[in-house]
Amino acid sequence: MIELVDLSKNYGAFQALKDINLRVREGEIFGFLGPNGAGKTTTIKIMAGLMKPTSGKARIAGYDICKEPTKAKAQIGLVPDRPFLYEKLTAREFLKFVGTIRGMGASDLEAQMEGLLHTFGLDSWADKLIENFSHGMKQRLVMCAALLHRPKVLIVDEPMVGLDPKGARLVKEIFRKEAQKGVSIFMSTHTLEVAQEMCHRVAILDRGRIVAQGTAEELAAMTGQFGADLEEVFLRLTAGEEEGCL
Amino acid sequence: MKNSLLSWLVFSPIVVSGWRRLETKDKRLRLVIFLGLGALLWAGTFWGLWRVLTYFRGIESFGDLLAWRLLDMVFLTFLGLLIFSNVVSGFSAFYLSQDLELLFSLPVPIGSLYRAKLSETLVASSWMVLFFGTPVFLVYGVVYEAPWEYYGLLVLGIIPFLVIPGCVGVALVMTLARVFRAKRARDAMMAFAITCGVGMYLLLRFLQPERLADPETFSGVLGYLVSLNAPRHPLLPSNWMVQVVAPSLFRRPGEEVFFLAMLWSTASAFVVMGTWWAQAVYASGWSKAQEGKGARGRPWRFIETLVEKASGIFPQNMRPFVVKDAVSFFRDASQWSQLLLLGALVIVYLYNFAAMPLEKAPIDSWYLKNLMAFLNLGLAGFVVAAVAVRFVFPAVSLERGAFWLVKSSPLDLKSFLWAKFWASVVPLVVLSELLVVISNALLKVSPFMMVLSSCTIFLASFGLTGLGVGMGAMYPRFKVENVANISSGMGGLLYMILAVGFMGAMVVLEGLPVYIFFYSRFSGQDPGPWAYLLAGLCLAAVFLLMILAFWYPMKRGAQALEEYEI
Repeated sequence: MIELVDLSKNYGAFQALKDINLRVREGEIFGFLGPNGAGKTTTIKIMAGLMKPTSGKARIAGYDICKEPTKAKAQIGLVPDRPFLYEKLTAREFLKFVGTIRGMGASDLEAQMEGLLHTFGLDSWADKLIENFSHGMKQRLVMCAALLHRPKVLIVDEPMVGLDPKGARLVKEIFRKEAQKGVSIFMSTHTLEVAQEMCHRVAILDRGRIVAQGTAEELAAMTGQFGADLEEVFLRLTAGEEEGCL
Repeated sequence: MKNSLLSWLVFSPIVVSGWRRLETKDKRLRLVIFLGLGALLWAGTFWGLWRVLTYFRGIESFGDLLAWRLLDMVFLTFLGLLIFSNVVSGFSAFYLSQDLELLFSLPVPIGSLYRAKLSETLVASSWMVLFFGTPVFLVYGVVYEAPWEYYGLLVLGIIPFLVIPGCVGVALVMTLARVFRAKRARDAMMAFAITCGVGMYLLLRFLQPERLADPETFSGVLGYLVSLNAPRHPLLPSNWMVQVVAPSLFRRPGEEVFFLAMLWSTASAFVVMGTWWAQAVYASGWSKAQEGKGARGRPWRFIETLVEKASGIFPQNMRPFVVKDAVSFFRDASQWSQLLLLGALVIVYLYNFAAMPLEKAPIDSWYLKNLMAFLNLGLAGFVVAAVAVRFVFPAVSLERGAFWLVKSSPLDLKSFLWAKFWASVVPLVVLSELLVVISNALLKVSPFMMVLSSCTIFLASFGLTGLGVGMGAMYPRFKVENVANISSGMGGLLYMILAVGFMGAMVVLEGLPVYIFFYSRFSGQDPGPWAYLLAGLCLAAVFLLMILAFWYPMKRGAQALEEYEI
């Protein structure tokens, strides 16, 4: 469903991503972990077509995001790290806008929209202007928008930021259900407990390179820490210059 | 001392970040262009006022009095502008600025925070008045051969003169924000101020200042000006400022020291009182501003419904953008309130044609009317270009942070851009046709000129819109904090230059067909097939120019958006 082949990205002389290779299968929840500035958001932006790679390929549901962007984007639901929205629209108007530019039919859009607003607890806020929403409510609304067109691939950058415990639990449940329906979920997060609890496999990115990928158990074995949790593995794999400062 | 240091520490990041903004080549180039244009305007003001004051000085009996009255009006206008400008900047600096969360979380006393933000507001709102005030003050000095005391007193007086409206404006802001939520108060204030400004403008226009040029009414108007006592209220700081500089300027006895003391003591007292007022209301007002940053109301619901229904004429993939943009526009008071300005502009523009005394002109009125109609084409084009730089050029950048939604959707970016084009071209065509057709009807021009003008402005609107939307996409400013700043960048400036050049080229190309039309009318002769062929070629070139003006920038704009990385 998602395939990144030798993906690299340079910002001038700085190499933000170096030969990233990974594959996410149908129905899999894939965690993408890494310290600040490792290149997680850059990878997500390339996969979503917001940025072009310097070299390499990103395929979404079989479509190359650079060569067939329209077809690839039609398969994606994106939840960015910062939910910038159209502040002067109401939640309902916003979802209607997103559904229409994604080519959904009016009746299907209506049904999906009402269902998602209800699922994410936004029914009573549906006709309020988005500018009055809290960060968490905006995050929920973005998730509604990402799921609206029933994507085959869900790309999520820091999904739990701004969500209250109830909201976080709701999101976890929805992600599991979507994965069971065959949706591939690519999730970047700093919350290692969430990654440990939800992801089938994870990749750890450090300074633009994937330093390890596999199940949590495989990663623990790789570092020689059998039975260790993801946090210990993560700290071991990403320990570099900073460790000396601690 | 400690508090002053704290105020400076709070203010210093603004100075440093302002300096950093100039570090890129593009920003420095923009600064050079802005300074160049500013210098032109500065020189223009100097020259224009120099002529007026030289003329006034030549009037024996009351020339000095007129110049004095003009100085009264200048300072009164500056005072009004400064209060308004401080209110608008004050809302942003005191309540909406992004650094406030950090500053309020620091152990900084409210008094220091107030003085730092007051300094920020003063700089933001006073520089323009200072910039355009300098040639005015210099001209007075040059024409009246003022002694050095004039310049010294001017510098000493202008500092408290800037501080007083700053304190008043900020106090007004803090009071309003205490009562309303900050953004709602700012929007209401903007709409109110624009309405007042428009009212004043219309009033001044309908006073018919062109009567000054009519010898029959000259003495009456001058007498009226001399007798105007409104700007001389003893409690107005503008009057104190005049009392500080005028005696040395006009070599009359005065009480400069007293009025200088009035200015300084009032400014100091206002800063102290402002600090007290800030300690009483600023923190609670800021807290209130956090409760909800936006307006709740949707006052233009009927227009929203209308737009939704009318959007049916647009293709399916463009419709959501047209509806979204129109709805967002009418829900943002800082956006729709500008329509008031636009309305005033149209009324005054048309009134100018209605008031034009063409019948009294010494040359043939048919020729004059049709010539005016031809020149009106360029003028209307310039007005439409000025409107387009404010409303059309920012169309793409208005997506702001939410552009990720468009870019990550399967929608073709060309369709997105064309949606912006169609949503902009319809109102622009309506406006331009309104200006040209009504002004031509008021001039009672010939059917040929009416058809030519309305067709040309129709084509020009398409060209100006394509140029605006395309260049807006080539120079997007999605990260701008204040939408009013979108068109003030490099792209906006470049657009204005190209738009004026485009309109100029259209008018020049139409010069020949219009000349042939005038020639055949006056000579009564057929200008011959070659002339018609040339005229036809010119009109075809106008059409081609329009195609080029909207097609090429749209193409480049779509490419730029494809390449744009979020």
